[in-house]
Amino acid sequence: MTRIDPLVHRVLDGELPSEVLTPAQRAELDRLERAGTLLADGPLTSVADRVMAEVRRPAPGVAQRLARWFAERHTITISVRPAWSLALAAVLAAIAIMPGRGPGLILSAEEGIAQFVGRFPGAKSVEVVGSFTDWRPGAVVLRDDDHDGVWRGVVVLPVGQHEYMFVVDGERWVTDPLAGRFVDDGFGRQNALLIVRPVPR
Amino acid sequence: MTVGRAAVWWLVATAPLAGQEARARLAGRVPGAALPALDSIVLAAGDEGIPTEPLIQKALEGGAKGAPPERIVAAVSLSASQLRRARALLRSTSEGQPAGPAEVTAVAAALARGVSPQLVESLTAALSGEPTGPSLHAVADLIGHGFTEDAAVGLIVDAAHQGLRGLRLLDVAAAVVLELQRGRSRAMALARVQDMLPTVPAPPRLAPATVSKARRLPPPSEPPP
Repeated sequence: MTRIDPLVHRVLDGELPSEVLTPAQRAELDRLERAGTLLADGPLTSVADRVMAEVRRPAPGVAQRLARWFAERHTITISVRPAWSLALAAVLAAIAIMPGRGPGLILSAEEGIAQFVGRFPGAKSVEVVGSFTDWRPGAVVLRDDDHDGVWRGVVVLPVGQHEYMFVVDGERWVTDPLAGRFVDDGFGRQNALLIVRPVPR
Repeated sequence: MTVGRAAVWWLVATAPLAGQEARARLAGRVPGAALPALDSIVLAAGDEGIPTEPLIQKALEGGAKGAPPERIVAAVSLSASQLRRARALLRSTSEGQPAGPAEVTAVAAALARGVSPQLVESLTAALSGEPTGPSLHAVADLIGHGFTEDAAVGLIVDAAHQGLRGLRLLDVAAAVVLELQRGRSRAMALARVQDMLPTVPAPPRLAPATVSKARRLPPPSEPPP
């Protein structure tokens, strides 16, 4: 318990005027007087009375308890080993940077997806040139990331029929043997005929 | 200004807009010696109401493949003939109703795949009001696997009468081809798919990983990056 300054005590008891107090002692006097006022205004119930009143009060319903639980502050402590937290962070980062169907790849009803696959072992470059590129090379370049000779590419194309050929190493025009549909190109070769369908929704 | 340049300017200034657009797209992409003949083919096609885009595409294709000028002109001329024939066929089977460019192009592509004009007529008559492209390609797919025209048309018309429409008709042909790949004879494959109708399997969905790799192409008029 904090001891009251004897001079302040005497002022409180009315033995001395308050003018004798230093500013610090006067501040203490004010604080004690405010506390006294608060005690005088409050109900003078004992601790036992207040405990019994609380015991007799009907228990709050589930909804009330839930509402109170959500409204009140809670301190939640989660213990995680640093190794696990690092792993979790790595997974979240991978999900964040994983390529996905971004806003630029929302397909309209008039668009579909075409996947080109060709086996050209030893080729330095393979691309697809067709009516969808205005027969201009360089727009659909296939990739062979694992160097197994199988070149792949996936592009968005307008729904409908398209003609195309592979161009290997920038100069050799090759018909896609897996296309299934072919048409004479009028230049002594055959174009593959591709029918692009809308992507099912 | 030389007389030659003046002549070019006069040609450009007086040519119809469609012809100017075609010339602009072909310039630098096909040998200069082929340009006058290509111009006249494209302009004539435009005047007749025949789709000109397939002709421009054929010329660009010839230029990209390094074909000589006379070969490019011959190929474009052949394409124009096929388009003319396709339009005439569609007119004869649709009681004179004008066919859209997509329909004409689809029928011309079927003719180029070896489908006979008689087959086009019988199929368009049997499926009047339906887009002819998918049904023609479905029939051509079956003929390409050794089926007779009658058998192929019969199956596709039957599928259409059982409610399959448009691109779903291609799935009918695909189902037959799958049966052949499983080792069944043509007659058995046809009978099995006939029994399946109208519930032929749809093509498998692309894996999400594949879809996520898809990218859009720049517009054809823009040079690729």
